Amino acid sequence: MLFLQLFISGLQTGAIYALTAAGFALIFGATRVFHVAHGATFALAGYAYLACTDAGLPWPAGALAALVLAVAFGLAMDAFIYRPIQRHEGSFFTVFVAAFGMSIVVQSVIELVFGRGFVTVSSALTMARQVAPGIYLADIFWVAAGVAIALFVLVTLFLERTRAGIGLRALSENPELLRAYGLSSRRLSAMAFGLGSALAVPGAILTTMTSGLQPAISHQVMLISLAAAVVGGIGSLRGAALAGLLLGVVENLVIGVLDTQWSAAAGFVVLFAFILFKPSGLFGQAVTR
Amino acid sequence: MSAPLLSVRGLDKKFGGLAAVQQVDMDLHPGVLTALVGPNGAGKTTLFNLITGNIPADSGEVLLDGASIRGRSPHHIARLGVARSFQDLRLFARMTVRENVLAAIEHTAWLWQPGGRSARRAREAAVEQALERTGLTAQANARAMDLAYAERKFLSVARILATGSRIWLLDEPASGLDLHSRARFVSLVRQAAAEGVTICLIEHNLDIVTELADRIAFLDRGAKLAEGDPQDILRDPELIGIYFGERRT
Amino acid sequence: MTAYLLNLATLATIFGILAASLNLLIGYAGIFSVAHAVFFGLGAYAGAQVAMLLVPDVLLACLAGGAVAALLSLGLALPALRVRGEYFVAASLGLQMMAVTVFSEAHALTGGHGGLVGIPLPTLLGFDVSAQGVFLTVCLAVLALILLAIRMLMRGSFGRSLMAIRDSESAAEAFGKDVRQLKTLVVVLGCALAGVGGALFSFYMMFVNVESFTLEQSILIMAMVIIGGTATLAGPLVGVLLLLLLPAALSFLPFIPPTQIGAVQQFIYGLAMALLMIFRPAGIAGQSAGRR
Ligand SMILES: Nc1ncnc2c1ncn2[C@@H]1O[C@H](COP(=O)(O)OP(=O)(O)O)[C@@H](O)[C@H]1O
Ligand SMILES: [Mg+2]
Repeated sequence: MLFLQLFISGLQTGAIYALTAAGFALIFGATRVFHVAHGATFALAGYAYLACTDAGLPWPAGALAALVLAVAFGLAMDAFIYRPIQRHEGSFFTVFVAAFGMSIVVQSVIELVFGRGFVTVSSALTMARQVAPGIYLADIFWVAAGVAIALFVLVTLFLERTRAGIGLRALSENPELLRAYGLSSRRLSAMAFGLGSALAVPGAILTTMTSGLQPAISHQVMLISLAAAVVGGIGSLRGAALAGLLLGVVENLVIGVLDTQWSAAAGFVVLFAFILFKPSGLFGQAVTR
Repeated sequence: MSAPLLSVRGLDKKFGGLAAVQQVDMDLHPGVLTALVGPNGAGKTTLFNLITGNIPADSGEVLLDGASIRGRSPHHIARLGVARSFQDLRLFARMTVRENVLAAIEHTAWLWQPGGRSARRAREAAVEQALERTGLTAQANARAMDLAYAERKFLSVARILATGSRIWLLDEPASGLDLHSRARFVSLVRQAAAEGVTICLIEHNLDIVTELADRIAFLDRGAKLAEGDPQDILRDPELIGIYFGERRT
Repeated sequence: MTAYLLNLATLATIFGILAASLNLLIGYAGIFSVAHAVFFGLGAYAGAQVAMLLVPDVLLACLAGGAVAALLSLGLALPALRVRGEYFVAASLGLQMMAVTVFSEAHALTGGHGGLVGIPLPTLLGFDVSAQGVFLTVCLAVLALILLAIRMLMRGSFGRSLMAIRDSESAAEAFGKDVRQLKTLVVVLGCALAGVGGALFSFYMMFVNVESFTLEQSILIMAMVIIGGTATLAGPLVGVLLLLLLPAALSFLPFIPPTQIGAVQQFIYGLAMALLMIFRPAGIAGQSAGRR
């Protein structure tokens, strides 16, 4: 029973990871930018929602504020950090360092405004009920699962059915096209950042209600997104989402065998093993050394 | 004809479904300059990569002095005296011109080089000579990334020249050179050939090919269509048709 | 006041060792490790254990710290040989996260979260070197030796080979460089030196715990190298001074409450990292890219 319970919480964590990691993978796939400030996007969205709720605003207002802030931050990173770097040479590490620097900036600002401690938004959704002997489930599980599935279907439809989506996909499957696209590559890249950042918002809001936020969450989310993207196969949306789900489940199942302290490390053991033995990930194309 | 120095037998390489190189045989004879021509995407660069071990072949053999070198790592093959250039040059961008050439001839992977002072003198002399012959002496202390286009191309040749390798595989070393630099390049290669270096040259410009080549191998869609005397190949209307037909697209 | 300055100088020296050794990986070999604090930690734990169980000899502890870090650096060398770029950064992040968990859980070796307490006062070949000024001298001597060694190696063929691999791995191979051997060598060397720094650190603090070996610490060391300037001898040292003097300077500003200094410091160095990458990617002491 314990394992079933852990599996269920794993799915809930995994749904959040999957969405966030899908956003990271979408951005990387289309723009080849290793957007490690994606965790900062997540943190900003979470704290924006929290601030609105604390101010007494209804939840849709909070969600909207979170969405606007997340998308604005993603677009700003693209326009003011990545583009200027890419304009002159700009190795991947230059981009990585700048993005990491910005996520440190965001983390410190959050710390200055909201303090270092954990903060949560209490919600009726998180009240757990016994649904079977020894199995507890809160409504938020269904919200997380529903939102994750719905958004994933929507994003897939968008990528497969709309012209812009097909453009994005073409970029992710063949980076050479980025150049061939010429003028519109800029708009497509902005779209990837906007959409990818938006995908971090639901997870951020759900997290404020479940495990809560702290400034360091941006690092944690960054690491999870990155791990999921690599395990899933860099650039593959489907792979990242599946790997995010997998990491969430693994993290929780580990608790059944080892101490809780090992749960965060478990995901990184998976990451490390994949890089050593199957660097192409679940769905990626083979990488050459 | 003497025994070939390097020969390729039935070499095959597929990228996914694309047959980049199929059943290619080629011989490089000592002191002979072979031009490897063919339209873009014919598999010329891939053939070099297979010979130097950068890419593993699916099947076939690469023989150096009659012994198989297939499956050896690139650095190993380089130490056997096979030097190559890259179409995109791959200079050591943040190092100086002199360091580029010096780094190219230092082989031992441990913390320092064997042979002591006399070996170091010899290496330094080889570097200066290579810089001299490629006309880069004045730029010796400039970083590779700060060089002009033609200078970069000459630096890629200088690195090879200094190694004293027996076999040079040159991947479009003259593309994009102005007339003056091109003439300098031709005489540089001619001098190396006269000194007995065995050269395989990928080149699109048929004037340069006619000027330099002792033999021509013609590659199209991964397969070698012909090999022989320059006059014969360049007079074959079918080959010329493929060559120019493809190039226009 | 002198005690304060001596403290700052000792820390700067130890971080100088860390930054200089990471520069071997990042600056010369193009191996972008974000797990340097792991090897710093391994050296610190090993040094502390040697001091507590055997003799508190600085030389012995440094050797032990370096050896343990060198041995376990294969955890970094393995991914370095197999993958590049983003994949390697991800692998080193994974290593860093795993190591922090192991450090806080392996109570027998590391003392867990509580850390190792009561590290005895350092001696050197039987002489007491625990006085602040004397210990600083010892640290400075170690740093000087390390810098000298790095300078000699990087000006020689080893350094040229590493830089060649950094600039173009395939071209380096085509000119006879044994890339696997060279990369393994530089990873072992860089990590061993970080271990030496760790051993000195454990003596100086007389106490070590996992807090000093987290991802944040790795990032701080990386920031020092990058802000100072990679692939130069002086760059990492400049970075160390800037980033260590920054909190000291901030603490003199009356309008920042002491509890906020940490966050303000983070804000400044995060922003400095981002801005430098945009405007001067080679760092403060580095050569900027030429115009063409
Ligand atoms: N590493 C690779 N992966 C996949 N396809 C490749 C790779 N290298 C070359 N190709 C493909 O193989 C074919 C031959 O390429 P190449 O040898 O570079 O041609 P050439 O040098 O004659 O212009 C081309 O269609 C190219 O796209
Ligand atoms: Mg080619």
